Amino acid sequence: MKERSKAYQKRIDKALATPKLQQALHQFGDAYLVSREKAFAGLDFEALRREIGVMKDDVRNNHARYMQQFIDNAQAAGATIYQADTAEDANRYIAELAVKQGVKLTVKSKSMASEETHLNKALEAANIKPLETDLGEWILQLSGQRPSHMVMPAIHMFKEEIADLFSKETGQQEPADIAHLVEIARQQLRQGYLDADMGISGANLAIAETGGIALVTNEGNARLATTLPKTHVALIGIDKLVPTLEDAAKVIRVLPKNATGQALTSYVTWIRGAVPCEGGEKDLHIVLLDNGRSRLAADENCCETSRCIRCGACANVCPVYQSVGGHVFGHIYIGAVGIILTAFFHGLDNAAEIVKACIGCRSCVAVCPADIDLERIILSLRETIADKEGIGGGKSLVFRKVMRNRKLFHGLLRAASVLQKPVTRGERTIRHLPLFFSPLTEWRTLPAIADKPLRDIWPKQQLNAPAKKVALFGGCANDFLYPELGTDLIEVMNHLNVEVDYPLEQNCCGVPALYSGDKETAIELAKQNINAMLKGNPEAVLTTCPTCTMALQRDFIECLKDDPSWKAKAEKLAEITVDAAGYIVNQLEAADQFENLPLPQKVTYHDSCHLKRGAGVWREPRQLIETSGHELVEMDHADRCCGFGGSYSLTSHPEIAKQILGDKLQDIEKTGADCVAMDCPGCMMQLRGGLEKNESKVQVAHTIELLAAGLRAEKAASD
Amino acid sequence: MDLYNQFCVAAETSGAVLVDCKGPVEAVAYIVKHSDGGVLVPSSESFKRVDLADQLQKAGATLLEVNRSQAAEAASGVTSACFAIADTGTLVLESTPEDVRLASTLPTRHFVLLDRSKIVADGLAAVDSLRRMHQRDTRNYIAYITGPSRTADIERVLTIGVHGPKQLHILLLNDWSSDLLEM
Ligand code: SF4
Ligand code: SF4
Repeated sequence: MKERSKAYQKRIDKALATPKLQQALHQFGDAYLVSREKAFAGLDFEALRREIGVMKDDVRNNHARYMQQFIDNAQAAGATIYQADTAEDANRYIAELAVKQGVKLTVKSKSMASEETHLNKALEAANIKPLETDLGEWILQLSGQRPSHMVMPAIHMFKEEIADLFSKETGQQEPADIAHLVEIARQQLRQGYLDADMGISGANLAIAETGGIALVTNEGNARLATTLPKTHVALIGIDKLVPTLEDAAKVIRVLPKNATGQALTSYVTWIRGAVPCEGGEKDLHIVLLDNGRSRLAADENCCETSRCIRCGACANVCPVYQSVGGHVFGHIYIGAVGIILTAFFHGLDNAAEIVKACIGCRSCVAVCPADIDLERIILSLRETIADKEGIGGGKSLVFRKVMRNRKLFHGLLRAASVLQKPVTRGERTIRHLPLFFSPLTEWRTLPAIADKPLRDIWPKQQLNAPAKKVALFGGCANDFLYPELGTDLIEVMNHLNVEVDYPLEQNCCGVPALYSGDKETAIELAKQNINAMLKGNPEAVLTTCPTCTMALQRDFIECLKDDPSWKAKAEKLAEITVDAAGYIVNQLEAADQFENLPLPQKVTYHDSCHLKRGAGVWREPRQLIETSGHELVEMDHADRCCGFGGSYSLTSHPEIAKQILGDKLQDIEKTGADCVAMDCPGCMMQLRGGLEKNESKVQVAHTIELLAAGLRAEKAASD
Repeated sequence: MDLYNQFCVAAETSGAVLVDCKGPVEAVAYIVKHSDGGVLVPSSESFKRVDLADQLQKAGATLLEVNRSQAAEAASGVTSACFAIADTGTLVLESTPEDVRLASTLPTRHFVLLDRSKIVADGLAAVDSLRRMHQRDTRNYIAYITGPSRTADIERVLTIGVHGPKQLHILLLNDWSSDLLEM
């Protein structure tokens, strides 16, 4: 293992061994969602974020023009502008300015850009003392740490540690009382503002129309740091540019709401030019930092990230962040956007480990106020890094030589079904694996490969005059692990007078290869599947696995976008692909055909990430469950990831996956349900595995299986 | 709800204290009663009209000269808002004159006089006045103030009064000022 990977693994282990941290981040995540919803009450979040996306894209496409407008206006108002290409360049300018002015002490208000450039180190090297005045930043400065969250930098620390740090500052033992600690910060930092010769701030916005900047803050330190010292240096990333005051107002309207669920921060400060200062005027320097931002804006796959307004929400809701915190899941910038920014600001090497730590649940995408498809971009970065570093010998061999050759792949799966016999002892689940495989089944059982895959037992259907003819895209799990799910689907569809075909040339959807960064294999599989599924000209292609749904609806097009004729075919397939529950409810409008089936149970529903946040389906299965007579009880965090993520939980990050699964199992058990339903074989594998290992009584079922069981019971009763 | 009531609800939610005043005399009395030490009263158009500093002094307030060393010692600052924003309970202060900033950042208590009629709906509706301020003056320091200074940096527990004022008192008046650009 590389040194880098070892150090990374150590950080994961350490974070997972700090339950207090997980507890704090979970509590925050829960409280955040509640206050965020309240803050946005009555507003149309989707419309607001689309608007911000469009505005920021306009800035990206016309950056030079808006930037020149900003610079001209700022200079006309007496500001000095410096355009820094790199972090070093920015640091050098600021340190040299401070030295030239004889500055001994600078007071800093919170600036992620200065964290990004390691400005404090550069100032200290020039014998200038940087004093952080934001409470969180000051705590980190005293403890020699870096932020673990973009908005709440010291979220990983506890009041006891902070009391110890403050005690060293005051020279007496300070109690670990939060109000008292806040008061100490007020007292200790106060003199700093009056003594300092230079105030350093960041900015949330640079407004082209006025040449001014805006700061969105709560504590009041930024107002002091930009008022009292005679020099003000504002270090601003060039992606903070917006055209007009209206645009700025729109960003400010969503930023605090989405960051912490606050309607508005205590202070929004609009500063333009050299304002009055001690009888004279302020010496205002605006340092415009590029440091990779232009490259990001020009990158075909990642440019959307330039829309980011740094609200930090993508971390707040991320199950990986909640499990390990920002010191693992980030570099300087953290969370989903942190992965991407790190790659461009701090180099691919610093992003190489964390890019694999994303489980792909799309929670971040759902809350991003700038409408950035973070998950897709992280995926594309993973490809870039895999191209550079390779994806691991064994894996790449499997993808290239085995999966692309369907007959060989399926032949091996059949052989494995025989070979596993000694381990499964004929049972459907594997409870223990021998030797070095044993960690795989330590915390969950794994499903055995079925004796006969779905393709071998696909029955001839006897419908007289089927109303519709559709095809099933089974995916590996449905085909080789859960073939009965496929036959259940036939039962459900036949009940609706729909005939289902199973095209035998279909192969793996390619997601495992794609998510590991092997795009070539993904392209090959996309082509095989497109041909296989379109061949019989079905009216619809049904799926029972939402990851496959996303592959057919989204990834195939993305993979084949450079080849017009293939792209057209991919689009055709995407158009007719639909998940089974959505098909029944929305297209056939046939939910009522399942009214009040026998065997009602208490059922709770788990939303699969790719179904809810990929396909936008979550009402439909609930409607089917309730219509068919079950009592639906909602669990907490129903749409939180279960921690499966394919190879994520098997090989790349099993410890984090286990943690995320543990959270889910708790939420399920708490409902007291007899059964947890879902619409994804991957989630079934994970949840069944975890529940079995815990010897829980809760059953796991696909919504389609529940419907089929009800139909069978009804038939049995009427026979 | 009309803008005024919406403003009051939002401002209270943000932690500000709302004070209904019949006129400047009542406002002066309230400030004197709650000022708790030296008071900074930076000059403004509306203050000049009624000679507010003089009234405060006569009512017993200890007025301090508005400069850095005095500001650092002051217990209270008194200013007037140009206008307010209803949906978030926000006050808009033209703070380009340094005195206004000293009085509204350093002391523990901040008293702001606001005419009840000068309230706009939201941040977007505020842009018109914000733009006019930018057109009127070539350099600007404009402050949106919503409640007292706050932090949640330690264990995410909301705590009031870090670096800025710990108390924000909003004194609501009629016929005080009608120009949205006037302090
Ligand atoms: S997709 Fe899920 S795991 Fe990945 S960064 Fe976003 S929230 Fe985190
Ligand atoms: S990517 Fe979106 S959610 Fe994440 S910090 Fe940026 S704006 Fe916020």
